[in-house]
Amino acid sequence: MSTALEANGLGKRYGRTWALRDCSLRVPAGRIAALVGPNGAGKTTLLHLAVGLLRPDAGAIRVLGEVPAANPALLDDVGFVAQDTPLYPDFTANELVKMCGKLNRRCDVPFARERLGHVGIPLDRPVGTLSGGQRAQVALTLALAKRPRLLLLDEPVAGLDPLARREFLQALMGSVADEGTTVLLSSHLLGDLERVCDFLILLQSARVQVLGAVDDLIAEHRVLVGPRQENPRLAGVATVVRESHTDKQSTLLVRTDQPIRDPMWTVHSVVLEDLVLAYLADPSAAALPGPGRLEVTT
Amino acid sequence: MTWLAWRQHRRQLLFGLIGLALLAAVLVPTGLPVHRAFGDSGLARCLDAMSPIADYRLSDPATGLPDCHEPAERFSAEHDGSGYLAVGLLLIFLPLLVGLFFGAPLVAREVEHGTHRLVWTQGITRRRWVMTKVGVVGAGALAIATGYAVLVTWWLYPTLVANAGRFEYLAFDLQGFAPVGYTLFAVALGVFAGTVWRKVLSAMAITLFGFVGVRLAVALARPHFLPPLERRYPVMSETFPNPMLSEWILDRNAYDSAGRVIAPGGDIHCELSQCTDHSLGDYNVHLYQPADRFWPFQSIETGLFVALAIGLVALAVHRVRRRIS
Repeated sequence: MSTALEANGLGKRYGRTWALRDCSLRVPAGRIAALVGPNGAGKTTLLHLAVGLLRPDAGAIRVLGEVPAANPALLDDVGFVAQDTPLYPDFTANELVKMCGKLNRRCDVPFARERLGHVGIPLDRPVGTLSGGQRAQVALTLALAKRPRLLLLDEPVAGLDPLARREFLQALMGSVADEGTTVLLSSHLLGDLERVCDFLILLQSARVQVLGAVDDLIAEHRVLVGPRQENPRLAGVATVVRESHTDKQSTLLVRTDQPIRDPMWTVHSVVLEDLVLAYLADPSAAALPGPGRLEVTT
Repeated sequence: MTWLAWRQHRRQLLFGLIGLALLAAVLVPTGLPVHRAFGDSGLARCLDAMSPIADYRLSDPATGLPDCHEPAERFSAEHDGSGYLAVGLLLIFLPLLVGLFFGAPLVAREVEHGTHRLVWTQGITRRRWVMTKVGVVGAGALAIATGYAVLVTWWLYPTLVANAGRFEYLAFDLQGFAPVGYTLFAVALGVFAGTVWRKVLSAMAITLFGFVGVRLAVALARPHFLPPLERRYPVMSETFPNPMLSEWILDRNAYDSAGRVIAPGGDIHCELSQCTDHSLGDYNVHLYQPADRFWPFQSIETGLFVALAIGLVALAVHRVRRRIS
């Protein structure tokens, strides 16, 4: 399996504040990866580093095997939709598609026109007069028209109402499913992305906190319910991510390293959203593949 | 990329051309009668006959050298130039306007609206992006400034040569190719300011203050572009420097034979027969730039501003490539 995006010790600093620090991650090609984290966690910084808008202050990032900064050739293969989907408001959708054709060596102009017509965007009106959902569709179309191998979307649904969010994500998935495009899309809410993503990057306070395929993460985390017990030590539990106690019983969300057979505890599987919330609540916990595991997935 | 730059900035360029057309609609009808009077009074012909004498220093009625004083009087009687000079003072700000509205938004508006993230993630380099935009807008500014300079030079020339002269402060700044240099500088300053202060309004404010500051500084340095000449001539004489020459007299003083200043900041002429309170040894001293240095000075001034403009564009390109995200 090849790698779409890889970072090693990546860091970016604004003044004295690190917006992203010591970030090492690897997104295999073909994944739909969710980049999740609270506001200010470094999601936008990571995406901007990936698309070459920023240069790293530490470490390195490689996108499709190449260094992205000042690399317009790479940008032929990378589609990017920035936060708030910036477009020239006085341009019509038609003119924006024309711009895409003029500025890129590869931009499928007929496809873009057809797709815009298909999702009901008027081609001859200034995009400044369109709704937020329509503008997001125009921005997505411009990115898709490059037939990118990697598509980066920064909070693409943040400004949309719930129905428009669903429609946008459905349209996105429909467009990338056939091509095997790798997608990395960010949101501060996992709920937006849970249905579509199969890979998770959780950023918190400028660091990577959770990283991995959604299936693997689900498989290695468990919710345990048992008699009340502070700081329980259990065979098979690598980390207790979150614990909550009532008078009589304790509920633990744990990361396991082998099956748990302790009869005192009942074992439940975990849903992704609970898992993410548990990690967000405890910034010191982390679920990162060790060096060995990185090798295994390569 | 040229298409995009044209599509983005065509409205500004159109407004600039409309402004130029409005300017022409005012200046041409008001300039024509002045040029007619300029010709009819004989002043135009007189000045033409005078100008080829490169080493002309003193006018001497006895030798019949042209003085042009009389046609100037005739011209001034028909044409009162004070309104023209006042309007000229307003026109001096037009290059700044081009810088504010063409230059400052060029990068700043994109960064302010985030559209730089759209365009910089297409398959072109930032260098090409900014160079093309600067090229298209700069070419438009150059065309508009050239039209402006030609119009205003033509419109003001008779009024200036009949009054203050064309080499003096403010007159110099409105004629020849200097306004083109100012305009290009203002645009480049606006572009550069937009790469540092990434809001259109801040970039415009910085352009305003920067432009006025640099213009003042260069204007103060202007008398020293070339070492000024000095000339001494007697107070009691039939000959004196012709004020119609459009020289730039930087300093003038009258001294008595002992070297004491008798007229600070002024000069004294009197004809031999009428001079009762002056002695033969009294003399005037002028420190001046001769009229034939008008165009060299225009070249130096314009060259200076064009060089500044090129430097600012280079800095702006660097900042776009390296400093903005």
